[in-house]
Amino acid sequence: MSPTTVFLQQVINGLSLGGMYALLALGFTLIYGILELINFAHFSVFLWGSFIGMWTLEALGLNGQNVILTGLPLIGVLLAAFLASMVFCGVLGVVIERFSLRPLRNVTGPMAMITTIGVSYILFNIILLGAGADTKNFPNPLPEIQFHIDGAVLDLRIVLIWIISAVLMVGLWLFVQRSRMGKAMRATAQDADAARMMGVEVDRVILIAFFAGSALAGAAGLIFGLYYNFTSYIIGYTAGLRAFTAAVLGGIGNVPGAMVGGLLIGLIESLGGQYIAVKWTDVIIFSILVLVLVFRPTGLLGTLAPSKS
Amino acid sequence: MLTRRAAGKLIAGAAASTSLFGAGLRPALAAAKEIKIGITLPLTGADAEGANRIKYGALLAIRQANDSNAIPGYKLVPVILNTATTTAGQYDPAQAATDARKLIADPAVMAAIGPEMSGSGKAMAAIYSEANFATITPSSTNPDITNPKFAHEFDPSGKPVYFRTVTTDAYQGPAMANYFGDVLKVKSVYILDDSGAYGVGIADTFEARAKQKGMKVLGRDRLNPMEADYTVALTKIKAINPDGLYYGGVMGAGAKLVKQAYGILPHPMPKGGGDGLLAPEMLTAVGFPAAEGWYCTIASPHLTQNPKVQPFVKLYESTFHTQPDDYAITAYDAGLVIVHAIKGLVDAHKPVTRAAVREAIQTSKTNTLQGEVTFDKYGDITNRTVSIFQVVENKKYPLTDIIHQFKYIGVAPTS
Repeated sequence: MSPTTVFLQQVINGLSLGGMYALLALGFTLIYGILELINFAHFSVFLWGSFIGMWTLEALGLNGQNVILTGLPLIGVLLAAFLASMVFCGVLGVVIERFSLRPLRNVTGPMAMITTIGVSYILFNIILLGAGADTKNFPNPLPEIQFHIDGAVLDLRIVLIWIISAVLMVGLWLFVQRSRMGKAMRATAQDADAARMMGVEVDRVILIAFFAGSALAGAAGLIFGLYYNFTSYIIGYTAGLRAFTAAVLGGIGNVPGAMVGGLLIGLIESLGGQYIAVKWTDVIIFSILVLVLVFRPTGLLGTLAPSKS
Repeated sequence: MLTRRAAGKLIAGAAASTSLFGAGLRPALAAAKEIKIGITLPLTGADAEGANRIKYGALLAIRQANDSNAIPGYKLVPVILNTATTTAGQYDPAQAATDARKLIADPAVMAAIGPEMSGSGKAMAAIYSEANFATITPSSTNPDITNPKFAHEFDPSGKPVYFRTVTTDAYQGPAMANYFGDVLKVKSVYILDDSGAYGVGIADTFEARAKQKGMKVLGRDRLNPMEADYTVALTKIKAINPDGLYYGGVMGAGAKLVKQAYGILPHPMPKGGGDGLLAPEMLTAVGFPAAEGWYCTIASPHLTQNPKVQPFVKLYESTFHTQPDDYAITAYDAGLVIVHAIKGLVDAHKPVTRAAVREAIQTSKTNTLQGEVTFDKYGDITNRTVSIFQVVENKKYPLTDIIHQFKYIGVAPTS
């Protein structure tokens, strides 16, 4: 492999990682934008998404890597899996909000955030106890088709993942910017009390933000499984932490910021691994986070929602 | 809905049934004094499957000793402690240290079997050393723990307490380097480890022997076991294009590495690791075709297919409904050594104390499934056999059969 091929291959690797981080980061950012709450339960919602996706695929008769589908059956199976993961995780997000966060809505201080950490532990321990701790073999119905670009290999499944991530992200962006509910969300993010006085149903807006953010985490969990062909009860932690870093890097609360942050973290991870060493990945990522926070505390693209204080 | 009264009945029922069960056991053992044997293993998390096989091996030795009344007047009681935590996702050295202190705090515990992992061993050894308390590990192979050079760290009291029924990575890593160089004719290697005590240690010993044998070490990197993505590291290795890849580590990172290597590295490239890769997850989580062709070693003779050991294998399978692996056998052997040592003390009418049990283990000669087990003055087993395996799909057996899908290649070359 020539140096340019290696570079190209690592950029492909980085963008695939980044797509996943971006989807997860969107959930953090959406909820932070509206509630100014860092939702650590998001880690585990992602984990659940990946298990629900796996169980759906298995229920449809796919086991391990032996069944390869093409054409309409493939589209049908993927649609079913995405629908199951996203709806389940969306509802899970709503349940988390309704029962563990709403009662704390008017409590000041870090109570709500600490509650989300607790919820996160409960959720991943349910998976641990219910499904066991071993690494699971994730079904992969995607055909092994590879494109060669200047010696670098681009798998069809990576292209699919990019397309799905892009569609979901653009969809969310349009929803926030163009729909009535999106307008209500932005209003709530700016000033919840004023929004309420103007007739915005703030509770409903918050529930929908949780639904949308968690559904994206569910999609990210399924994409994770399809990409790596495995899942396990510990996947939430590292991916969640990186995605959170991505959200902060791009400017937490800022939807395009989360996308840019996610892709950047993915690229930093792959290029840092190639040209420095894989063992330094976390050091590099978190050093960049610290530098961004010191020199540009609002993140690269800044926080769109003005501070309420 | 469960009412309070119904719940009360349930609890009373449960209490009655346990007391019945206890009453059933008690008469035969009325006079028996209890000796507790600790078992410390990572029973949950990524290491759970192997740890449970080891647990069953150890339990079988204890159960047989009780059933045959091997130590007259005494009953052995296992105390099983989990060294894994959910935050680590696998074995956790901090938890292992806590467990070691728990065992020491109970005066009835005379010795222990475990730990499975060297990382835990490093955290436990000094605590055991200060209490003059012997443990026998059936699988932790990091040589530092029993190396006199590190005695200040792992054995401050100076008396060996960390015994092993397997050999160490001082032999296991070099054995694979010998095999890579002499048999597979590998001229250049890339080395990865999983940042654990075991993984780093075995990768170091492999690297040293590989260099000695004139192989070119083209690079060395470290994987984070919590990370999902190793395509970055593998792409880098593909670009460097070594003849072979060696991975020091356990399945936590290993399953993902092997799986992702299949899509990136050329398939004829010899790829191998230590006993960390000879694990059920190689077949369940990775599976074929990705696992095909990977080499691995174990730090003991290969026994599960030895005709003499078949009665044990059958008994194990019928008792626990799972297959034993070779470290289940070394765990059983560790149990035999402890039983033999305590029996020696009781037969000679000596008091059974931790110090006496440690001393007895140190000088013991025990007939076990792997032959006569004796220890050198540091606690290491004197038999230094390393066995080599390769994952080769065997269609005659289930694809998750850990005995038949790892093809036994033979005893590793020693130089």
